[in-house]
Amino acid sequence: MESNVYTYKDLTPAQPLDRATLNKMVIRSLFLQASFNYERMQAAGWLYGILPGLEKIHTNKEDLAASMTHNLEFFNTHPFLVTFVMGLVLSLEQQKADIATIRAVRVAAMGPLGGIGDAIFWFTVLPIAAGITSNMAIEGNVFAPVLFLLIFNGVQFAVRYWLMYMSYDLGTSAIEVLTRNAKEFTHAASMLGVFVVGALTCNYGATTIKIEVQDGEALRSVQAILDGILPQLVPLLLTLMVYYLIKKKGWSTVKCIGLLLILGLVGAFFGIWGGAYTPFIKWY
Amino acid sequence: MIGPLQLVLILIVTFIAAIDQFNFLESLYQPIVMGPVVGAILGDVKTGLAVGGAYQLMTIGSMPVGGAQPPNAVVGGIMATVFAVASGLDVNAALGAAIPFALLGQYGVTLTFTLMSGLMAKADEHAANANPKGIDNLNYFAMGLLGLFFALATLAGVISITNPAVADFINGLEGNWIMGGLGAAGGMMRYVGFAVLMRIMLADDMWGIYFAGFALAAILGACGLGGPALILVAFVGIAIALYDYNINVAIKNAGGGAGGESDGI
Repeated sequence: MESNVYTYKDLTPAQPLDRATLNKMVIRSLFLQASFNYERMQAAGWLYGILPGLEKIHTNKEDLAASMTHNLEFFNTHPFLVTFVMGLVLSLEQQKADIATIRAVRVAAMGPLGGIGDAIFWFTVLPIAAGITSNMAIEGNVFAPVLFLLIFNGVQFAVRYWLMYMSYDLGTSAIEVLTRNAKEFTHAASMLGVFVVGALTCNYGATTIKIEVQDGEALRSVQAILDGILPQLVPLLLTLMVYYLIKKKGWSTVKCIGLLLILGLVGAFFGIWGGAYTPFIKWY
Repeated sequence: MIGPLQLVLILIVTFIAAIDQFNFLESLYQPIVMGPVVGAILGDVKTGLAVGGAYQLMTIGSMPVGGAQPPNAVVGGIMATVFAVASGLDVNAALGAAIPFALLGQYGVTLTFTLMSGLMAKADEHAANANPKGIDNLNYFAMGLLGLFFALATLAGVISITNPAVADFINGLEGNWIMGGLGAAGGMMRYVGFAVLMRIMLADDMWGIYFAGFALAAILGACGLGGPALILVAFVGIAIALYDYNINVAIKNAGGGAGGESDGI
């Protein structure tokens, strides 16, 4: 589940990663979302992407296991910008920074990239590439899809390569400052990480209530009442509940997922959770 | 009519496009590419190009064509082309006919994301055993599973050309409470991911920071800044973190860092 190891056994910095390995990881970064799932989102694809580097860096089995374990925690960022996080994290892994430091940098870096990537790719590059080529296609020009793929992927690959090398160098040059005040840096980075997780709870929170109650003449939705108390109250409460079960009751993540699965199905049976479906029993 | 070889080729293309919608080039799956490819398989590139181009314009919002858009662009684009070429429907009618199968594809996404949540425990095992091959295979398996679900959705679509009862059956599934429940549960599972991160990172003195992050995101969301919210959150978060860092370094350098060992990381 999560790492109980805080520092690597072998603290000697590894050889800097060679170009071949970095390039290989740029290619692997294309499969960031291979095993995307509701619990940890891109976690296993993220680990898949950086594995060639981790295997070079951690030559003893225990350190490799510790590194793989903490790199399997919740991860979600923009797929086209992920190499930025990869370069940073790999430079820290190579220098054998504290695991808490690496985790904090990873969590702090992954969040903001989502909005930037959407703005660049889905709202700019895609409409431009598709806008130019769609009318060509409608007129029957067979080069339209080829041109579309060339424009879109030209930008995509340039960004992926550039970010990998840029952020790897950035992390490497920052390492000296970082290790001089390692404890202070880790505390600050953890604060940033916790701040981001708090924001994610609100921003990614996707649970709403479907129930509507009769209020005099009108129907009032319970969700609107809850929003009047605190926006995203339900996601916050559910997150705190799961946190409590894991931290205080020692539940495993699998057990938590099982509980949420039952909660989701039972709730939909009675029409509690929001969504476009017809409840089995409608009691309100 | 669609021959066996054409059917196999369409299913293979669907398999690849299903994976591509989240991975690899993340652009092969777009209607403008799938339209002509499927058109070529069925022997009518021109119609494929026309359907793909028109649907692509709709997906980027540049063409105010009426009618509902299919819930999944991969199956939507492929099936719309199949219907346009094999059944001779116009673009709008073909897209409409593709909707049930696009819905089926969307169920495949929900199912895959749910199943893979359960398999994360297996991934943890591979990590604990320092087994990179295990992680590789888990990722390949997940992609294969998604591709398979999509190929099945397309197969159902092709069958429906000669057997319209298939589409009626799938339409009957819409709004089913079980799929609604799976969707709701899927939306909740990310809270487990958050909770694990909190358990590891959140020292007792950081609860205020957690709620501050939540509050800032809620405020930005209420201002209609949902998209760039996390960038703005990062600006404020970095300011807080830098302040914390500078203060603690100053305390350490002033020789007052005796208590620095217990800062609760």
